[in-house]
Amino acid sequence: MQTTAEVAVADASAGDDVPVRGWPRYWPLLLLAAAALPGLALFTLGRWGDEPALRAWRTVCLAIVMQAMPFLLLGTALSGAINAFVPARVFSRVLPRRPALAVPVASAAGVVLPGCECASVPVANSLIGRGVTPAAAFAFLLSAPAVNPVVLTATAIAFPGSPAMVLARLLASLATAAVMGWLWLFLGREQWLKPAVRHTGHRPGHSRWTEFRQGFQHDFLHAGGFLVVGAMAAATFNVAVPRSVLDTFSGSPWLSVLFLAALAILLAVCSEADAFVAASLTGFSPLARLTFMVVGPMVDLKLIALQAGTFGRAFAARFSAATTVVAILCSTLIGGMLL
Amino acid sequence: MKRPLQVTLLVLSGLGLLHGSLFTDLYLRYVKQGMRPLLIGSGVLLLVLGAAEAWSWRTRHDGHEGHGDGHGHDGDGHVHDHSGVPKVAWLLFLPALSLLFYAPPALGAYTASREPAKAVTEQKQEDFDPLPTASPLPITLRDFTRRVQQDRSRAIDGRTLLMTGFVTPAEGGDGWDLTRIMLSCCAADAQSVKVRIHGVTAPPADTWVTVTGTWHTGGTLGTRSAQVALDARAVRKVARPANGYTDALPLAPS
Repeated sequence: MQTTAEVAVADASAGDDVPVRGWPRYWPLLLLAAAALPGLALFTLGRWGDEPALRAWRTVCLAIVMQAMPFLLLGTALSGAINAFVPARVFSRVLPRRPALAVPVASAAGVVLPGCECASVPVANSLIGRGVTPAAAFAFLLSAPAVNPVVLTATAIAFPGSPAMVLARLLASLATAAVMGWLWLFLGREQWLKPAVRHTGHRPGHSRWTEFRQGFQHDFLHAGGFLVVGAMAAATFNVAVPRSVLDTFSGSPWLSVLFLAALAILLAVCSEADAFVAASLTGFSPLARLTFMVVGPMVDLKLIALQAGTFGRAFAARFSAATTVVAILCSTLIGGMLL
Repeated sequence: MKRPLQVTLLVLSGLGLLHGSLFTDLYLRYVKQGMRPLLIGSGVLLLVLGAAEAWSWRTRHDGHEGHGDGHGHDGDGHVHDHSGVPKVAWLLFLPALSLLFYAPPALGAYTASREPAKAVTEQKQEDFDPLPTASPLPITLRDFTRRVQQDRSRAIDGRTLLMTGFVTPAEGGDGWDLTRIMLSCCAADAQSVKVRIHGVTAPPADTWVTVTGTWHTGGTLGTRSAQVALDARAVRKVARPANGYTDALPLAPS
């Protein structure tokens, strides 16, 4: 089936060039293939999609997308609004002059930017472009997706009756963001960073409403696509991995923490939805689930890709590796005390 | 991604959400009932976004052709911003189209058979009220499990009970499982409660049935060793409840 499809794709792309020089002699065949193949593919897909495992996969996948959609819309709308209506100089005026002090303030300021991690990368980039010290911008980049009210509310909904989990998530994320900011201050090098290219925020001569709408729409489409990727990965994991495998990891406290940290990186669920995924990982200790929620918004496959695109590959590799280690340590320490 | 495509994507996603939450009860297969207002709001918001994008695209096109002034330059800048929408946004078509045309069913026997039964919460002895006198007595699967394994007064002994759930073929041993799946948030965190049914051959998997019967003797009633099982006297097919992800009481027998 797959080889036929590939041949058809090759045919189609070859066919694109041909009409310039006139139709090929076998064009009725191409036409027939173009008509028959999609139908056949749909039919096979339909038959195959009705297998019990695939039906369950589609249900779980759609469920995660539906559950996350309102939160994603809320987050991207608010981040679009802040981007268009709040001037970036407000951020640089609020921050203390001394970088070492600016870092914890910036990581706490993440509370006011409700958005998921995809939204915070461009914001951090524009902050750097406007003269905010990179260390503070990175602290903000790390904390904003994890500690804002939308995400904390989602966490409280996903873990009804355990407010300690919400508090632990808040503290561990703030601590990780601050530590990473200071680390950058002492060890970071400017040349790892690609120069900031794109500036966001309100530009004079443009309607703020149009900017808001466009920012909102762009962020939503961008983050929504990654949400579907995350939902598919999570659903695959949910349906394909037998419970016994989870149990072998959930049995040992240390392995389970590391396992869920790795899972957070691989699943790449949006920070507005990851609490629900964490809640579904029953059988794991609260500490391991906390690690999942602290690592997830700060490091995951889609974030590494976004950061590599925005700040450069040299930066993304070093930054993500360091953040993973710091996040695991912080959540273990704080989770150990609170949970 | 071209702007007309973005409009299509936004409108389709909005329609999908509205179709699933406002016009039908599809959303109950995936999320909890409380999500409905949020889903309807999201659907409306997406439709508005799509309409605004279509409107701005049309007016910009007209203005562009009509004047050809500095506006065109700005317009180009916008087009650049929008082509920044990564290819991954295409994937949003999948949930939208799936909701509209190819909605997957609620979780059922496949999921339940792969999961260990959910542990029921402990209940204090004094919280076990005397059982109502009705016979057969409608009872939820969770209540039955608690009565069998935790109620030391053994009130359940000898009573004729009535329970509703769907059929999950059992992997090992005798009989089949009457099952309910429950969500704490969405279908990704489904957990199941099961009661083993003896004495009646299993209907096809995923059929919703109401079972009448008495406790199947095995182990010591009122302790953890008691089997959560029922000797069925009658099995009757029922319609799937609108909200399948609850452990509601069965309707009184007609």
